[in-house]
Amino acid sequence: MGEALTPYRRLVLLGSLFAVTWTAAKVAVPSLIRVVVDRGVVPGDTDALVRWSAILVVVGLSQAVSTGLRRYLAFKVSLQIEADLRGRLFAHLQRLHFAFHDRTQTGELMSRANTDLQQIQFFLVFIPITLANLLTVVSVAVVLLLTDVRLALLALAALPFLNIAATWFSRRLHPVVMALQERLAGVASVVEESVAGIRVVKGFGSEGLQQRRLEEAAGRVYTESMAAARLRGAFLPFLDLLPMLGLVAILWYGSREVVAGHLTVGELVQFNAYVLLLIWPLRMVGMLVAQTARSAASAARVAEVLDTEPAIADPTRPVALPKHDADDAHPAVGAGALAFEGVEFHYGPGRPVLRGFDLAIRPGEAVALVGPTGCGKTTVARLIPRFYDVTQGRVLLDGVDVRDVRLGDLRRNVGLVFEETFLFSSSVAANIAFADPDAPMESIRRAATLAGADEFIRALPRGYDTVLGERGFSLSGGQRQRLAIARAILADPRVLILDDATSSVDPTKEHEIRDAMAEVMAGRTTIVIAHRPATIALADRVVLLDGGRIIAEGTHDELLATSERYRAVLAQALAADQARAPEAEVPS
Amino acid sequence: MRGPARGTGQVVDGIEEPLSPEEARRVIRRTVRLLAPYRIMVITAVVLLVVQTATLLAGPALLRYAIDSGIRRDDVGAIDRAGLAFLVVVVVGFATSRAVIRTVARIGESFLRDLRERVFRHLTGLSLDFFDREKAGVIVSRMTSDIDALQELVQQGLVMFVVNALLFVGAIVVLMAMSPLLALVTFAAVPPVVLVSRWFRRESNSAYLTLRDRIGATLSSLQEGLSGVRVVQAFAQEDAQEEQFRSANREQFEAHLRTISLQSRFFPAIEFAGVAASVIVLVAGGYMVKSDAVTVGTVAAFVLYLNNLFEPINQLSQLFSTIQSAGAALHKLYALLDERPTVGERPGAYDLPATGGLGVDSVTFAYRSEEAAPGDASGNGDATARSEPVLSNVSVAVAHGERVALVGPTGAGKSTLAKLMARFYDPDEGAVCFGDTDLRDATLGSLRERIVVVPQEGFLFNGTVRDNLLVGRPDATSDDIAEALDRLGLTDRFAAFPDGLDTEVRERGSRLSAGERQLVSLARAALADPAVLVLDEATSNLDPGTELAVERALIELMRGRTVVVIAHRLSTAARADRVVVVDDGRVVEEGTHAELLAKGDHYAALYASWASGREASVDGLAGEHE
Repeated sequence: MGEALTPYRRLVLLGSLFAVTWTAAKVAVPSLIRVVVDRGVVPGDTDALVRWSAILVVVGLSQAVSTGLRRYLAFKVSLQIEADLRGRLFAHLQRLHFAFHDRTQTGELMSRANTDLQQIQFFLVFIPITLANLLTVVSVAVVLLLTDVRLALLALAALPFLNIAATWFSRRLHPVVMALQERLAGVASVVEESVAGIRVVKGFGSEGLQQRRLEEAAGRVYTESMAAARLRGAFLPFLDLLPMLGLVAILWYGSREVVAGHLTVGELVQFNAYVLLLIWPLRMVGMLVAQTARSAASAARVAEVLDTEPAIADPTRPVALPKHDADDAHPAVGAGALAFEGVEFHYGPGRPVLRGFDLAIRPGEAVALVGPTGCGKTTVARLIPRFYDVTQGRVLLDGVDVRDVRLGDLRRNVGLVFEETFLFSSSVAANIAFADPDAPMESIRRAATLAGADEFIRALPRGYDTVLGERGFSLSGGQRQRLAIARAILADPRVLILDDATSSVDPTKEHEIRDAMAEVMAGRTTIVIAHRPATIALADRVVLLDGGRIIAEGTHDELLATSERYRAVLAQALAADQARAPEAEVPS
Repeated sequence: MRGPARGTGQVVDGIEEPLSPEEARRVIRRTVRLLAPYRIMVITAVVLLVVQTATLLAGPALLRYAIDSGIRRDDVGAIDRAGLAFLVVVVVGFATSRAVIRTVARIGESFLRDLRERVFRHLTGLSLDFFDREKAGVIVSRMTSDIDALQELVQQGLVMFVVNALLFVGAIVVLMAMSPLLALVTFAAVPPVVLVSRWFRRESNSAYLTLRDRIGATLSSLQEGLSGVRVVQAFAQEDAQEEQFRSANREQFEAHLRTISLQSRFFPAIEFAGVAASVIVLVAGGYMVKSDAVTVGTVAAFVLYLNNLFEPINQLSQLFSTIQSAGAALHKLYALLDERPTVGERPGAYDLPATGGLGVDSVTFAYRSEEAAPGDASGNGDATARSEPVLSNVSVAVAHGERVALVGPTGAGKSTLAKLMARFYDPDEGAVCFGDTDLRDATLGSLRERIVVVPQEGFLFNGTVRDNLLVGRPDATSDDIAEALDRLGLTDRFAAFPDGLDTEVRERGSRLSAGERQLVSLARAALADPAVLVLDEATSNLDPGTELAVERALIELMRGRTVVVIAHRLSTAARADRVVVVDDGRVVEEGTHAELLAKGDHYAALYASWASGREASVDGLAGEHE
């Protein structure tokens, strides 16, 4: 955290300065009040009364100004650091490898970027306040001891316990509050599922059963809340009691001291005011202790993410991919030749996905990968843009090991359309131009037309400017996939990978984009993962995978004729496809 | 100033549009009524609170006594009396404060528990049209964030609010009693403070609303960046994403800083007002002491009381938004409690006969339009408009033990018809009868026992498989369950779950496959053992292994019962005793599969298009096979 503070050294210094002036002014006020009482009110000296009161006003003003600035600066720095860290976290997460995102839940990361950073911010804000508070405590103690040692000791004796009690209380309360949160979540989940499953609840008339579950959950909330209340009931009055005992001592012993002539009336009032001044700083120390523990845990959780090195990163000595002339009608050497050489891959030890996988694809060739679920075809596709690195062997793009190419270069040259389409909540045009935000409108239209998306986009409320993901507006699965294909086309990669990219496109519509696909694939190395015969037919060659190995190769017709396994795989996929087709009635 | 932890987070969620005074009064009256069972505890709490406030106000008064009667007259006895009295007051204050916290917590938490139970009971008692109309998220938030807002008030704000209000009033009373003249001079400092507080409340409300929006924007940008991280990396757009997030992040920071900048002006103003008021008291008091209008002790007490005058204003203006959002939450909850179920039990309702046919007689039905929001207090059922009828003059008779398939294009009204048969809704015209009894005359309990709806997707609740089965019949014994499973041929399948029937299915049954969820749902219906089964056929495809088990269990489940099935696959319709074709809210054809095919009208057309759709998708492969 220290490192995060460095850029704001000057603001921190300034904030601390105002913390000091604030303390000085705050501590001066009761003393000034005493002076006003002793020199003005008691002797009835109106000149002194007005003079000292004027000084009091000035000190009060400077106290106000420094309070404001101290607060503003403390928050400004801490919020700035929170924002910096959030930005860094986001940037880092954007660059972390797929495997990290595979095993980490989005919600988990969100909470680190949100709640945890907030906890750190709370702590940072505490720093200048604590500084000011410590100063206050010390200077008040000094002033009181200088005024009357014995009375000061009596008045202050109980106060250290305030700090101890506050610390203890904060520590004890935290787990109870956490438990209460959990109980509340329990109520929420009963409510949520009862509402979501209301048709089942009503269908069986099981309202009573749900009511009992809710009552149990509500009862647990009650029990935990009362536990928290008992804790508060035990400690809060105690926290109030300690300074009050100090005040009793001042009133009783102090008044006697005044009578004995050791103390003035003004000093008595001043003592009172000072003890009241100490209550908050001491309580805050307790809060700080509890907050420190929470913030430290949060900081560790944030650091854990920031310290995770991207497993897939730029090579130290990057090699450029061989150039090829895009305008050349005949793809030259170095225009998307792919080779898998002895590739082994597993997502985790003991779960091999690819074993001794060898495959060479010529520039401009279109290859279909076919195989049952879990055969490794998607993995093959994902090794090319280095979403994962091979465990053994190597993947070559135009003769260069993909691990030797700068990531940006590699991925700009490999376009991939995922099976699950992810669209961003921006305009249709921006989604298509994702790879090249500056792409001219003509290129966007052209890509959309090739993907068979232009027609439905024009029919959208605001055409290409329609913003996706807004309320009450959604595209069908097939439409979404066509946008994803347009996105890949616009990137104009040397290798295009379509991972089951047309699975949601209505079979009756697929032929519309098939011609377009053929055009996009012409002269471009393409890998198609598909199971619909018509799509597979687009490929020059079909590779049948099973159990992480190639078990057959040839054209679609050849395989149909020779491979029993091939026919079985296609039939199974077709059955699944068909079951998906009948449309469900929309609940009225 | 109360530490930085208040500056963010919690406050952001608590901002609401304030209630009108009339609404606020209604909310208060109703809350008071709901607190009636705790009358004695409430009275105790009020008494305790007054005592506690008095102990807080006693200190300066006793100091004044010590100064004026003790110090000024050198009377040590008076000092001792004051000291002893103060000690007693402090101890009493300690004890009452403990009692106050506990009593208020008990009242508040009991109230919340009652409210949770009452709202939930009311909610599950509401008819389905309510759930159609309202977004699930909004309904759930009534029971979660709205009641949680109240919980926060009960736990943190309520005692403070009351004590501070009492302190403020008490301080004014005490000051007036001590010296009306000096008091009036002192109060000159109050109006500016109140005005500044009001300004602050207004400004910070709008600043917090902005902040809440910005936080939402950052979170969604973050969420999108994380969900779409694979696409971002695939197109090497990390920098562009980062840039986008940075601007959202920046805006959140600025909105947050704006709230801080407001606080940084407000809190110092209040602090300064305190000092200024002290100066007023000292100067005015000084002159008055000189002219013997007040005593020195009074001036000293005034200076100390100022704390009790300004601190409450500060505290109350900070608590105000909590109170406001609690009021808004209660308002919404009460509106929900005012919502009347449209499908209810009539007085004098009687149980349905054990068996009988199901008759739909000249039924017309329209869903309520969505304009009438239940959040609106006046939104009683009667005021809502009805939209176009979904069913017009529909009559269907299903004989005891008959299996009828409802068929028709999407949106024809077949699901609605099935829902009316189970009295999820009441018809606008006509009647639905079981045997000779109109469903509206039947007790809801007997109705749910006789007629059971099995929805498309097997919906499971968090808990074990057994818990989920018991939803069908809460009082069923283990033997009943075993028997039901046996009847459906599922005994082995269920025993094969990791912990058998005690397997935790997790949220929404996520631990089971779609097919297994469907099986649990069927077993649940078997346990309920209804006379009439209304089935909404599943459209999603299941894993082949389970598909078969589901099919078999379904056949067993239907055996010996009256069945109405909403058929999505016409192969299901072909197996039914009779097919009812619904189109555009009317029954257009009735008869057996064979009869209707032969007739060559609606059903035949539906069947032809369904069959060709099937062939079209098979065509691709079949063609290539040649």
